[in-house]
Amino acid sequence: MKQLTCPINGTRSIAEFIYGGELRPMPDPQSVDDSIWAAYVFHRDGAPGVKREWWCHSPSNTWFIAERHTVTDEILRTYLYGEEA
Amino acid sequence: MMDISCGDRAPILGALYHAPGSIARHDAVAWGYGRGADQRGVEIHQQTEVTGIEVQSDRITGVETSQGKISTPRVLCAVAGFTPRLLEMVGLRSPITIHPLQAMVSEPMKPWLDPIIVSGSLHVYVSQTARGELVMGASLDPYELHSTRSTLEFTEGLAAHMLELFPFLSQVKVVRQWAGMADMTPDFAPIMGKTPIQGFYLDAGWGTWGFKATPVCGKTMAYTVARDRNHTLIEEFGIDRFTQYALVGEKGAASVGH
Repeated sequence: MKQLTCPINGTRSIAEFIYGGELRPMPDPQSVDDSIWAAYVFHRDGAPGVKREWWCHSPSNTWFIAERHTVTDEILRTYLYGEEA
Repeated sequence: MMDISCGDRAPILGALYHAPGSIARHDAVAWGYGRGADQRGVEIHQQTEVTGIEVQSDRITGVETSQGKISTPRVLCAVAGFTPRLLEMVGLRSPITIHPLQAMVSEPMKPWLDPIIVSGSLHVYVSQTARGELVMGASLDPYELHSTRSTLEFTEGLAAHMLELFPFLSQVKVVRQWAGMADMTPDFAPIMGKTPIQGFYLDAGWGTWGFKATPVCGKTMAYTVARDRNHTLIEEFGIDRFTQYALVGEKGAASVGH
């Protein structure tokens, strides 16, 4: 069984987690033009490699960041948003 | 007489029947196309990896491969789960993300299942092959991964749902499972046609669609490449539909939770 470590609840089965997609910095909605906003809404960094992603520990509704390699599925580390060491 | 109340636990309230629905051997179709292309003079280079695509002033000039360089003003990219890697080579961004799609096969048994059965609520589709095996699939893996690995989570989940439909299969063994990489778009429609790079044509984002649209894709993409103009049938599928907020209201996607 694959496992993921929630920064609050520790190592749990992957079945307890929801994938929330890659972390994407939001441009300022007041000042960007339509094309940059569309790119933010739709485009993804689809090429394989290490990515920062949102994950949620579903039973406790804890959202956090995981750094994961999207080819090997190896999880390098997890931390709460804004608490990257 | 059929008990559709299912002991009142999960009563059947309705169903769809699609009379012309049928199964075709996708491997045979792929090999048929391969042979047909070969007989017409197309060179198929197996074991040859694309390592780079040359772009000068937003125009295609060539392709670098593990066997050497090919000079060309035109490239058609139709590589399914490898699309993001090739788009990165030409500096294009897209909404495509890659998710594994898994399937599995049971040991062979006597024929009992003639139609194909799909359950949208259980995320199951199943049919029986001419050899008697059940071919079973479910929805996409829940997160992005560029890999064709198989998982026990998938086998357990799909087997549990299969037993809800057909409890008499409880002693049947699974003999094989596999995965493919599905290139998914936000509106579940493909991305086809010309791109902002002159001479770079895309036929991607087919995700979980299977192979049934292959013939018309071939015709419309051949037209598009030959005339450097999108065929009218594929105009709505351009990669620029996202920046124009003109997504396709896809009505033909499979009835499982892909």
